[in-house]
Amino acid sequence: MSGLFLARNQVAVVGYAHSQVVRRSTEPLGLTALRTARAAIADAGLVPSQIDGFASSSLMPTSGDHAAQDGISVVSSDWLAQHLGTEPKYVVGFQGIGQLTGSLTLAVNALASGAADYVLLHRALYSPPGKYNDSSLTQARGGQQWSAPQGFFGALPGIALVYNEYCQRYGATREAMAHVVVEARKNGARLPWGYWYDKPLSFDDYMAEPLINDPMSRLDCDIPVHGVGVFILTRADRAKDMPNKPVFISGYANAYPSHNRISLHWTLDDMMEAGRAQAARLWEKSGFTPDQIDLPQVYDAFSPYVYIWLESLGFCPEGEAHRFVMDGNIDSDRPGSLAVVSGGGALGNGRLHGVPQLLECYLQLSGRAEARQRDATTALFSYSAPNFGGAFVLTNDAS
Amino acid sequence: MSARLLPVPDQASAPYWQACAEHVLKLPCCSRCNEFTLPPDVTCPSCHSLEPEFTWQPVTGRGKVRTWTVIRQSFLGGFKVPFVLVDVQLDDQPQVRMIGQLLDGPEAPLSIGDAVAVAFDDLAPGVAVPAFRKAENA
Repeated sequence: MSGLFLARNQVAVVGYAHSQVVRRSTEPLGLTALRTARAAIADAGLVPSQIDGFASSSLMPTSGDHAAQDGISVVSSDWLAQHLGTEPKYVVGFQGIGQLTGSLTLAVNALASGAADYVLLHRALYSPPGKYNDSSLTQARGGQQWSAPQGFFGALPGIALVYNEYCQRYGATREAMAHVVVEARKNGARLPWGYWYDKPLSFDDYMAEPLINDPMSRLDCDIPVHGVGVFILTRADRAKDMPNKPVFISGYANAYPSHNRISLHWTLDDMMEAGRAQAARLWEKSGFTPDQIDLPQVYDAFSPYVYIWLESLGFCPEGEAHRFVMDGNIDSDRPGSLAVVSGGGALGNGRLHGVPQLLECYLQLSGRAEARQRDATTALFSYSAPNFGGAFVLTNDAS
Repeated sequence: MSARLLPVPDQASAPYWQACAEHVLKLPCCSRCNEFTLPPDVTCPSCHSLEPEFTWQPVTGRGKVRTWTVIRQSFLGGFKVPFVLVDVQLDDQPQVRMIGQLLDGPEAPLSIGDAVAVAFDDLAPGVAVPAFRKAENA
């Protein structure tokens, strides 16, 4: 099936709420999610009984020794719907690595098809006590037997391999990546709800940070946090009578791994191959081209993702993203720039799995970004890496 | 320091670990299209046969370094840091990539495309894990 998304601009984001982002909380994550969900429903001018659809993905993304418990350390849509006391018609959870784009896809499709009238999309992230990824495994079973015995464990060495291949192939330096991380933290420091509020990072501090999995330092990774983002969606015909300016979904694309590899063995070529294919689908379905996107927000949980997305989406040529950022092209304070982490991203907010990217698109296009308001009509957000995640195009002009 | 964790062979992987214990690298080969794959899969990822009837064939274990990382902090116990992980494209079939420790250590000079050959890390009696050593560039 080719051509435009049949439901192009027929579904809109009409409200949101975001919890305070903290490093850890003694409050069960479900309670934070419920408070945020109620605030989002009210923000959209609705009451809980009107929410008849729920979509989410509840994965806690750690390789360490932490048990997931619904309502405590993860929050499923089932749990949230039950505890809000609603009687929904449609409750769905996405299983896969592209959690936010995957579950937003389910939400949009449910509305476009009429399976539900008002859908609540949430993402709730928990930060467990102790070291996030430390593991006391003494045996490697199943998929882990192919990686853990040689010390390849967790997502960090996986992205370090990809990033080093990029650096070796294109001559990228840590100085270049400093421009990404410092930019994300600068923007994050302006968000009163964010973990890094009022805590920008200097170039020198970035450069002084020791490497942990070369060429990755701790500052190239988002910090695990406790936080929740909630978005309310409905169809465009209903959205026009609601309190906030609607932000329409123009199209989306998702991707899935296409090569048989050991767990967490991503490769630069796999990412770029999937990214080019995904971008082609995104432009075809959304009816937009890269030069028509005023405000892309690319995923940055690991800093090298910014390069991968800039290049695979066609915002700069392959192998050039490191020079693109060095030249100041993503500086949110520079007129005419491509401010791809203006919302702080994951590096400037904490590990919220795509919520900062979607939130920034929504705030800017709905005119609710207050002092940070930018002039933008079209936005894009991406999540995860292109061989696992997805991307959406949004607009506030459905004409 | 705790011991390094050991692989637990299962029905699909037992021939792999048996061969490793004998310091031989064997990979599953599809009986339909003769392509290797790693890790073992239920079907053949190359020709998509539902009846690949994989056989375990010895390979040279020679390859080229695609990329590497120096692990200075490990999430798992039992590893002496720093150590080097290399992502190796096998000469036997370039689509097959393996990740292993580079036994030459973090001080050994390394470039993309460097030749390596499989070596084995003996972790316990009867248990060896594939690793790599630098080889002469062809």
